[in-house]
Amino acid sequence: MTQLSSDPVASRQAARHFNLIDTDVHERAELSALVPYLEPMWRKYITDFGWQPDRILPYTQYAAGGLDRLDARLPDGRPGGSDYELLRQQLLDEFDIDYAILTGWLDASGLHPGWPEFKTALMSAYNDWQIEHWLNRDERLLGSVHVNAHDPAGAAREIDRVGSHPKMVQAILYIKDKPFGDPYYHPIYEACVRNNLALGMHHSENAPTALGFHRYFVEWHTLVSQVFMSEVVSLVFNGVFDKYPELKVIMIEGGFTYVPHLMSRSDQQYKELRSEVPWVKRMPSDIIREHVRFASQPTEEMSLERFLQLVEWCDSDELFCFSTDYPHWDFDSPWEALPQGMPEDLKRKIFYENAKNTYAKMPALRAIGQ
Amino acid sequence: MKQVVCHKSELSNGQIMRTQLGPIPVVVVRTKAGSLYALAAKCLHQGGPLDQGRVYEHHATTKDVGEYVIDPGREVLKCPWHGYEYDIKTGCTVFDPSRAVQTFQAYEEEDQIVVQLATAGARQA
Repeated sequence: MTQLSSDPVASRQAARHFNLIDTDVHERAELSALVPYLEPMWRKYITDFGWQPDRILPYTQYAAGGLDRLDARLPDGRPGGSDYELLRQQLLDEFDIDYAILTGWLDASGLHPGWPEFKTALMSAYNDWQIEHWLNRDERLLGSVHVNAHDPAGAAREIDRVGSHPKMVQAILYIKDKPFGDPYYHPIYEACVRNNLALGMHHSENAPTALGFHRYFVEWHTLVSQVFMSEVVSLVFNGVFDKYPELKVIMIEGGFTYVPHLMSRSDQQYKELRSEVPWVKRMPSDIIREHVRFASQPTEEMSLERFLQLVEWCDSDELFCFSTDYPHWDFDSPWEALPQGMPEDLKRKIFYENAKNTYAKMPALRAIGQ
Repeated sequence: MKQVVCHKSELSNGQIMRTQLGPIPVVVVRTKAGSLYALAAKCLHQGGPLDQGRVYEHHATTKDVGEYVIDPGREVLKCPWHGYEYDIKTGCTVFDPSRAVQTFQAYEEEDQIVVQLATAGARQA
């Protein structure tokens, strides 16, 4: 990445006196790379029969690099996140990141539910590939256990199989169109708690808006937050946090500006309609404040004053965790994405403390000029 | 302040090149028609490196839904990150002409491409 000498990265690093945890970084596998990690019976469906993950989004990004930052794509045409050295250079070293949580590319929970056996096996292959090619390669990289939510028993088995790996800090579900609070999915959350893992929920290209897929990509991408609101509401009103009081959930790649409305609206509905969901024992906003966190990307340009108002409306400064979404086209720079001039204690919370308190298995952070 | 960028043959029509004007990173653009322009290479949004962006034809504002028209002769430099578009002639963002990166004079001189600090700063569309 080009360093802009009018604003040198080195001086920014020197000026920073807090740690940095990036809660959304995408590594990328080629399907062929997963074949050796698949059980033999499944390999032929990729090598001979051409299985590909379904992608139903009817547009492409009108971004210079497509899905990726243009400068994160490899010269040989491979997508961003395919090459460790480039990711190290452009992200980990460039921004002096303490820990980056890998959130992957291929996640069966965001695919059509059909053929669950193959997809559960594929997730096992992906996790083993992730451990060997990424987690074992750099101490700053932490992992996500990818599972097939459409096979909850298989997903729980997979969490039990690799969730004890010291660098796996969460299980992750990509969002398609299923409200994950449904008791059908609860074995997954039980496995998370059993393995001391947080649960990440991440947007996917197969997630529709509330009205399906609109005519234009700009509409779809504007409305990304809708499915996150749906998932939080689903988890809260289906009693997931009453059933699993130790569970922490982080919503990834949905931004955060929708959160005040979500909390306020949920509380109001609880006051009016509580008897429909008597297993929910507290105000939804209290449950959210205790159990749910929101990765910051994609941010929106706003003044410091407006940002502080938004935090105040949430009645908590512990909800937001910084994320870059590297290498995607709407990558958020740790230096530039959030308003300048934030109070130091809030900055520390957003850039590392909130994440540290969300992920029970987060390793110790370096002492860094504090 | 003036800076030689390269020999004129090294920047073909439709290409861009990075240079440095004192402390300022600059992207030099040669249009498809061969004209030269230069802009500060740091995106106003999050500092994305504009010298690693791409030049596209400008989509003119149109009257009806579904109508796409290319604006002849107007080209935009698109940030490699979030895609903010800058008019290469004025440095103005397409969505808000009051927001602009600094522009510089760019021209050929004795077979070299040269950029020069302009006194007027960013120009308005």
